Amino acid sequence: MSDPENITEETETKPIVEKQEDLPKFEKDQSDKITAKFGSKTEIAFVKPDRIKVNVKKEDILDVASFIRDELNYDHAESVTGVDFPADKEIEVVYHLGSYTDPQLSRQVLSLATRAPREDNPNPGNDSTILPSLRDIFYSVEFHERECFEMLGVFFEGHPDNRRLLLPEDWADLPPLRKDFAIKGR
Amino acid sequence: MSVIAPKFRLGYFLKSLTDNIFWIIILLTLVGIPTLMLVLFFIDLPVLNGTLLTPFLAFTMIFHPETSVPLVKSLLYTDFFKIAAFPGFGFAALLAAGTIFIERKLLAKLQLRVGPLYCGKVEGILQLMADGLKLISKEIIIPAKADKPIFWAAPVLFVATAAAFVSLIPVAPGWVIADLDVGLLAVFAIIGFFPIITILSAWSANSKFPFIGGIRALHQMVSFEIPLILSLLGAVILTGTLNLSKIVESQSNYWFIAFLPIGAIVFFISMLAELERIPFDLPEAESEIVAGWLTELSGMMYGLVQLGSYLKLYAFAALFVVLFLGGWQGPMVVPPFPAEIITHGIEAGPITVQVPGLPITTQEMLNGTLWFTLKTGAVIFFILIPRGVFPRIRIDMLLSIGWNKLIALAFINIFIALGLLYAGVLGPGGLL
Amino acid sequence: MTARLPPGLQLEKVDERIMTLNVGPQHPGSGHMRLIIQVDGDRIVSCDPDPGYVHRGEEKMAEYRNYITNIPHLERPVIHDSCNILYPYCLGVEELLGLEVSERAKYVRVIASELNRFTYTLYWLAIYGIFLGHSTMFMWPAGDRELAIDLLEKLTGARVTHSYFVPGGVRNDLPANFEDVCLRQINYLEKRLKTYADIFYDNPILIARTEKTGVLSREDAIRLGTTGTVLRASGVDYDVRVKEPYDVYDELDVHTNVLKNGDSYDRSKTPWLDMLESCNIIRQALEKMPKSGSVRVKLKPNPKGGNDEVYKRVESGRGSLGAYIVSRSKPEPYRVKLSVGSFRNLICMPYLLKGEKLGNMPAVYWSLNYWPVEADR
Repeated sequence: MSDPENITEETETKPIVEKQEDLPKFEKDQSDKITAKFGSKTEIAFVKPDRIKVNVKKEDILDVASFIRDELNYDHAESVTGVDFPADKEIEVVYHLGSYTDPQLSRQVLSLATRAPREDNPNPGNDSTILPSLRDIFYSVEFHERECFEMLGVFFEGHPDNRRLLLPEDWADLPPLRKDFAIKGR
Repeated sequence: MSVIAPKFRLGYFLKSLTDNIFWIIILLTLVGIPTLMLVLFFIDLPVLNGTLLTPFLAFTMIFHPETSVPLVKSLLYTDFFKIAAFPGFGFAALLAAGTIFIERKLLAKLQLRVGPLYCGKVEGILQLMADGLKLISKEIIIPAKADKPIFWAAPVLFVATAAAFVSLIPVAPGWVIADLDVGLLAVFAIIGFFPIITILSAWSANSKFPFIGGIRALHQMVSFEIPLILSLLGAVILTGTLNLSKIVESQSNYWFIAFLPIGAIVFFISMLAELERIPFDLPEAESEIVAGWLTELSGMMYGLVQLGSYLKLYAFAALFVVLFLGGWQGPMVVPPFPAEIITHGIEAGPITVQVPGLPITTQEMLNGTLWFTLKTGAVIFFILIPRGVFPRIRIDMLLSIGWNKLIALAFINIFIALGLLYAGVLGPGGLL
Repeated sequence: MTARLPPGLQLEKVDERIMTLNVGPQHPGSGHMRLIIQVDGDRIVSCDPDPGYVHRGEEKMAEYRNYITNIPHLERPVIHDSCNILYPYCLGVEELLGLEVSERAKYVRVIASELNRFTYTLYWLAIYGIFLGHSTMFMWPAGDRELAIDLLEKLTGARVTHSYFVPGGVRNDLPANFEDVCLRQINYLEKRLKTYADIFYDNPILIARTEKTGVLSREDAIRLGTTGTVLRASGVDYDVRVKEPYDVYDELDVHTNVLKNGDSYDRSKTPWLDMLESCNIIRQALEKMPKSGSVRVKLKPNPKGGNDEVYKRVESGRGSLGAYIVSRSKPEPYRVKLSVGSFRNLICMPYLLKGEKLGNMPAVYWSLNYWPVEADR
């Protein structure tokens, strides 16, 4: 996941069998703007045609998200995904951001990822797995963050309504999408 | 076959047969013979033509045509026959059953499907009977906290009111159960009962969805009663009487709909709203409030309400025909009965029915009934069609139609009728 | 109340004026989810959607299956639109495994995807009709849907849950004579679709009931992150097939239907216009399709992806459907997330229903093109 070194012209073809080393220009411009503003606080995970991934620490995510919304014109979040990495003892939450208003960005999906520390005996809402909520910046993440909370145990601070959405009200087990929750019989 | 009687054994079957025979004999002797004694000792048998009408004589008279025909004729003109068979409950129920069947078939064809097909040999004609048997056999569930006396009484009251409405409609000249001089006013009074019964039934069920449905039904029915009454006043103005039979008689030259079309339209729309037919079926809006005020009714209570609904439909359509389409008036298409039939009976080939006094009914009655049924059928057809074409209307749109637009149109209709009357065109002493 | 409540339940004081209605799963007007609606007379005061009645843990179970056995598993959220829900997954897996899809397979995929748009949208339209009390509008789309299902049965062997798309192409080629049958049925279906205008879209009662209700302005539609027909009915010109063409959509001429008002009437009309557009797309695809070629790529057993992640999206009947796949060099994916259009549009429900009349509730709620099973996954 290192920074790429070459800048060639934009490749708009669909991905083919061999991986290429040159990077698309438009996406590289976008990621450069982010690194120019935030420097070492962010890390560009990859730059692919139409897809950029930015890793941020959880303290800075509100600033980065506001920058992305105001300067880069991304206006909504397509989805919020939580991925559990027990080996790193972290849970990664990825926001996929898109833009409806900017015609140049209609193909792009920017993945904004943060990590939250993970505990072995989770107590959702009351332990250290806390992330700031992006609901004030992107309103559309409201229900997605609720689902992430109940499925992985990540508490979103500042979210007006951290309640169960899909799970039944009397669920008393581990958050289901964690890797240590095993489906019975498999 | 073996599914129906999996444990069939001949011995058990014969035993059940002999059991039945035994019990029938016991009942006949222990109950039947004392009853017969009671009847013969305590009830006075009538005297006919100087002879005592014993049961034996009654049986022979029934099977002897020339004495049975006057008996039948005398029965025809009794009140009981009028209430139970024609033009009362039997006729109305038959038409209601026919309406339900036609409605299902008509809607099916409109919606590219077939409708009832399997019950009965001809295109599912016995479907209604099957549905009725099904409803009778279902358990009647009463909600625990419901107000039981009112909840039980409401469907019965509904059918009773609908039946009272049916009793005012004249079908043929002289064939009306209740020939009131204020017939139309009685109609209005009876129509006023329906919202009360609906709201009682809905409220006593003690559940949210029936409650909302009942309130909606109350709003709907009350707000459409006024245009209903106002639209009928045009016909009253032109005839000067409230008697329904006289209104029909005064339409012998022309039908009122020719001069009061606006009133007919207002009455038709108000009729659809009173009957809770689509597009006005809010009280029973299935997708919003489960089944509205019918939610908690199950089994035969639901059946009674459906029966009452369709009796009401027949009665309203018949009222429309009586007031605007000329009732039973129509050209005489029934051929007059030849004189020989009345004196000698019908002679046809090797089998002759030598019964003087046939036919049982008169020519006017048959003709009037025929025209009345045709016209009512046409009106019912037009009531059924919107069900396949329109979605449901919303409550505030409904109320604005009932209170604003229809009352205005009804008043215009009244002014037209007054104008025609005072211009001397119609009515008593008019040109027509 | 001194009794202890079981965990997860809470005590609520009953207000004298406000009534709480459970437009619940056991309701002919709700689908497989619950809306807890509080009404004051005829006005809805608040609406709290409660999905999750059909939640089966699709994403968790997908981590236990390898890439190929995930195919019949992941199509279950929307069984009659199964090609569209497998589409982003297959595109993503092809990128992870580095597979090349043949031209003919791409055209077949486009045809199957558009046919699935018919089956889903006609079903949705039928239920929309019956929610408004229009029983004819329930029967006609449900009957016409049989034409599309018939074609899909010829093509894939199943009426619903087709399991037709595999990474690398499709499962089998078109049967003999399929092009003619398809063309004939699509022409007839287009004629039938046009009759819906007479009975439904020009019906004055429908127009009076759905116009100006549940208005979603353009800014709100963008801010709430809606997608699909809800977005296009509010004036935003965004269709994934046009903006980010996948497979052969860049060679086909797709016209996006955008309506301006953002009320329930427009939201009910956009899917119908999209269906008419699908007829054109299928006709073009049938013309331009290469006449021969293989449609499937031979895979090694238990293919593994590298340490990579991919996010692909597709336009389905409900909106843009995305699949986010994370792989870690094992035959099973590490994480599969389906970003479905219904879940994204769920946020419109409390937003639009607040302050509406109770009579407008089915018209607004179902016009959001919400499929409860998909939102729950």
